[in-house]
Amino acid sequence: MEPEQFQETFQRLETEVQKVIVGHGDLIRKVLIAFFAGGHVLLEGVPGLGKTLLVKSLSHALGMSFKRIQFTPDLMPSDIVGTEVLTENIGRREFQFKKGPIFAHVVLADEINRATPKTQSAVLEAMEERQVTVFGESHILESPFMVLATQNPIELEGTYPLPEAQLDRFFFKLLVTSPTPAELREILKRTTGTESDDATKVLPEDSGKLVNEMNQLLRQVMIAPPIEDYVVRLVHATQNDAQNGGQPNGYVKQYIRFGSSPRGAQSVILGAKGNALIEGRVHVSYTDVEKIIYPALRHRLILNFQAEAENVTADQVIAEVIKQVPKN
Amino acid sequence: MSPVTTDTGERPSELTAILIIAGAIGCGLLAVMLRYRPLIPGVSSAAQLVDQRAGAQDHFLTMATIEQAHCSESFMARLRHETASFGERVELKRDFPYKLKRSAFWSVGFSLLAVILMHVLVSLVEPGVRSLPVHQRLRGLAEQMAQKPGLNRLAQDLKALAAKLEDPKIPREEKQTLAQEMEKKVVEQQKKEEQQENRDLLSEAASTMKGVEQEQSASGQDQQKDQQKGSGGIQSNLPQKGQGDSKQSQGGDGESKSDSSAQPSKDMQKGNSAQGNPKEPGQDKNQQSADAKGNEPDPKQPRNDQSKEKTGKSEGASKEGAGKNQASEEPPQGAPPAERFYKTGEGKEGIRGARYVTVQLPEEVAADAKGESRAAKESKGIRARPQVPVSNAPLPAHVPNAPTEKQQVPIEYRGIIR
Repeated sequence: MEPEQFQETFQRLETEVQKVIVGHGDLIRKVLIAFFAGGHVLLEGVPGLGKTLLVKSLSHALGMSFKRIQFTPDLMPSDIVGTEVLTENIGRREFQFKKGPIFAHVVLADEINRATPKTQSAVLEAMEERQVTVFGESHILESPFMVLATQNPIELEGTYPLPEAQLDRFFFKLLVTSPTPAELREILKRTTGTESDDATKVLPEDSGKLVNEMNQLLRQVMIAPPIEDYVVRLVHATQNDAQNGGQPNGYVKQYIRFGSSPRGAQSVILGAKGNALIEGRVHVSYTDVEKIIYPALRHRLILNFQAEAENVTADQVIAEVIKQVPKN
Repeated sequence: MSPVTTDTGERPSELTAILIIAGAIGCGLLAVMLRYRPLIPGVSSAAQLVDQRAGAQDHFLTMATIEQAHCSESFMARLRHETASFGERVELKRDFPYKLKRSAFWSVGFSLLAVILMHVLVSLVEPGVRSLPVHQRLRGLAEQMAQKPGLNRLAQDLKALAAKLEDPKIPREEKQTLAQEMEKKVVEQQKKEEQQENRDLLSEAASTMKGVEQEQSASGQDQQKDQQKGSGGIQSNLPQKGQGDSKQSQGGDGESKSDSSAQPSKDMQKGNSAQGNPKEPGQDKNQQSADAKGNEPDPKQPRNDQSKEKTGKSEGASKEGAGKNQASEEPPQGAPPAERFYKTGEGKEGIRGARYVTVQLPEEVAADAKGESRAAKESKGIRARPQVPVSNAPLPAHVPNAPTEKQQVPIEYRGIIR
């Protein structure tokens, strides 16, 4: 596959999703980057902003299997990964594995923070290992596999915040914002009339193979050693523990409890590569890093009480880190 | 400026001076390197600059720094092609004109100033560093004098003196005396000399001799001061020869309250001889009084020794009493000295005719006498010492078969034993 093909496919997908979703161009782009990089995305936003619709449209455009799991407090792990049920086959009774909704290319974990930690952790293995283990038997998931989880930042009553281990497994955390007045007008025009557009399928039948090829191409994008060093320095600068090579500055020391993990640096580099390919380049530039670092690190920085008290967000800390870490 | 010398007449070598200067230059260079090293552009910095000028989105940076072996061929070819197209946008002469920064001119200016300053400083310091030891200067003078027909003998004397000055075994006092004698000879010769050239040479020799005396006296005083600090001393009301005023010496604290003892230090500051200067009025006075007492001077003894011996406590106030004469501290060796060597009132048996003798004790003993507490003493930092009175009074000569001193019977046993 050539970079031009990648770019073309990507743009077609973007266009198809944007037929349904008004605005959120950057959000759609980053979801697609995460998809082609082989990552999972956590979408955070208030209800009614089109999170679920975005995921459905995306899966439709990709032409891949899509499952939705509504997370509730009484949801059990077996409801997600599946379970063995007793079946009768030609007079013999035996246990047969009944696949859960996790067995799909694109899985929407709606309001993931409403389920108990036990259920949330059922998704952990699926996200990282791309397999599930039921009654001691492992089952490989579909490929490509992507979890798109949503969570509501305001309704915190009766919710279980995602543990750090699970948060770290998300490639990006994207914030879904309210539409602008122009976008809202467009939304109203599309949804309150008689005409309605659906995303058409962009990828061919054997889309899994194509997605894997695109994933390989993305990984081939070149990154200059000074830019790689810059990413390393950025990630280290978020770490408060100087013994591990972190170089905490005053701002970081003041507001961060735990810094980014190595997965954060991996996400930055892969995301930057994806961004470079979309922009028609075969090498990563500093601007790619700066565009990608926010969604890649914002859920990996654990802020302290002082930050919460002063309403300091992870994005503000990242902006400060970018300001303080030199490029050379 | 007094010449920097050690006891053996060594001077800091040129090598030391060179090393100091080299070290200073090295430190300066290091500081400049540390300051400007980050400003030296590396390959990546240069590539980044070109990227900025060409708006190349890090094409040049990637091209310059990437390891091509790990990259896909097609990607590299594409990157090369794109970078070449961006390269057309950059014109080195236009985008990176070579011009000197203003700071460069400042830097050159300051460097020149530093060089000039260093040159001036070196020329100021050089004579001090390069000046020869005294004995070598004397040898040089002796060689010059040897070439003059009338100064041959003096030249030989100078050479002999130089050899003695160089010898560390000869005591400082003797060196000083020899220097004084030589100075006198030189001055006398200078008066006799008619030729201007010879006079100049002799005046140079005289000034060198003065320098020698000054050095010897200064080093001797320093050494004695160190030795006698904190030790006891002796005071007495003995009649002192050669001293019109009542003068007390206090060897304990190494300072003299008398005028005559204060005078040498003033002289030393002026650069004159502290002890053996024959022109000193006090000493002349002492000598006169010694003559008046009828003590005939030994013609074989050096003049300074005579005055020292005869003036007794008068000289002691200024020299021995001031705690600056090392010879007085030396224990008696061999046979007891002749009677003329004893100070006034002293004899083979010890101090005679003294109405009272004051023994000055070390600080701790004095503190005990005053009734100070141990804590008070500790707070003053007084170290514990054996409570033995210390005195610098000459000990009686040791007689091998003399009967041992009889110990008195304690008063409480006297009745019983009797």
